[in-house]
Amino acid sequence: MMATHPLPAKVRPFEAKRRVTEPSGQTIEDARYWAQQMAAVAAGRDVDCFMRIYDHYGPRLLRYLLGLRVVPAQAEELVQEAMLRLWRGAGQFDPARASLSTWLFRIARNLYLDRVRAEPHWREVQDGLEWLDRCEADGEDNSTEAFADHVRLTNAIDRLPAVQARLVRMSYLESKSHSEIAQELGMPLGSVKSNLRRAFAKLQAGLRPAP
Amino acid sequence: MNSYHHLDSSTLIGYSAGSLPEAFRAVVSAHLSICAHCRTQLLDADRVGGQLMSQQEGVPLPAAARDSLLKRLAQSPVSSPAHREAPPRVHDPDRLPEPLWPYFGRSYSGLRWRTIGPGVHHIRSQVRDGNLMLLRIAPGRSVPMHSHGGNELTMILQGAYDDSLGHFAPGDVADLDCDIEHQPATSPGVPCVCVAATDLPLRFSGWLARALQPLFKM
Repeated sequence: MMATHPLPAKVRPFEAKRRVTEPSGQTIEDARYWAQQMAAVAAGRDVDCFMRIYDHYGPRLLRYLLGLRVVPAQAEELVQEAMLRLWRGAGQFDPARASLSTWLFRIARNLYLDRVRAEPHWREVQDGLEWLDRCEADGEDNSTEAFADHVRLTNAIDRLPAVQARLVRMSYLESKSHSEIAQELGMPLGSVKSNLRRAFAKLQAGLRPAP
Repeated sequence: MNSYHHLDSSTLIGYSAGSLPEAFRAVVSAHLSICAHCRTQLLDADRVGGQLMSQQEGVPLPAAARDSLLKRLAQSPVSSPAHREAPPRVHDPDRLPEPLWPYFGRSYSGLRWRTIGPGVHHIRSQVRDGNLMLLRIAPGRSVPMHSHGGNELTMILQGAYDDSLGHFAPGDVADLDCDIEHQPATSPGVPCVCVAATDLPLRFSGWLARALQPLFKM
């Protein structure tokens, strides 16, 4: 059983007003801190650590699901579901592969496709892909990457040109297809794709340490 | 299986964000099941999603939800990873990629093709959005192309074709920009079997347009 840590000052309580456009202040310590909470949940079924994760990420998951136009009652239920999945599957969380926020994003996105879009077999396929990844570790050593990513990625998102940032947010936070975005912004489909492509290249550069 | 033609990053963003039409999701999943390179790319896209999700200002959850979650924890057993059968050591040439099983079944030998034109067969699948089909095109055919400005994503399953973009072999995806024009020719010897997703309403770019004209009276 790990000792629980007081919340570092860097981790803002969710009441803190912050818009996505401001630098998020997510630091390496933050990512490491959440990985520690997860480790305590995995190793000791530590309810306090688990609820700390819930208090921080639950409201963000709810915002995310509401942004995808999930009705509030169902969105709240899906947050519970996502957290229970985290509780049950904590042993499979590997901080070297992805940070807690990446993991939770995957869980919430999969639940959305599974329950809201009611797509049969989606989760089975995703589990299969996760499992393939575990089978063949690509030999890339990214042991510290998941922590270090956060800061660089935050900066990269904040530095995207306005149009690219808007398209990225419409994709992720409103779950709009390329065609829907093109229609909504009166932009040719080809431009939507090429802008997203350029944005992704910049964000990927933010995920990797400069050579 | 090594593929040389990969998914476009804009497609991976759509997949990661959960915003691709179902037909496209099926083809992307099929390619991911054989391509470690694209799975690594997808992890990057998911990291972007995770970062955006955690940067947002939260919406407070009802206090009662906290209590009911605590109650449910007590009743929630800890799961061990589900057991999955190991991937077959020997590549079974009769097996479709697993993500396509719900749509077309497991084996090529079990497929029931419908003729739609000389040398062209197809099988359509029911999806909620988009249009998903298997195509089988006779060897050694050239397919004239023109662009219609829609989305189209094709994965080669058997056989091969060549066009100005290169050689497309099993596992490869042709993830084309809507304004690319090319003229693929299927390789001699074996039929080219591929799985293709297109947008609805049916606006084909590319070789599907010609292949499917008899079907949709385009």
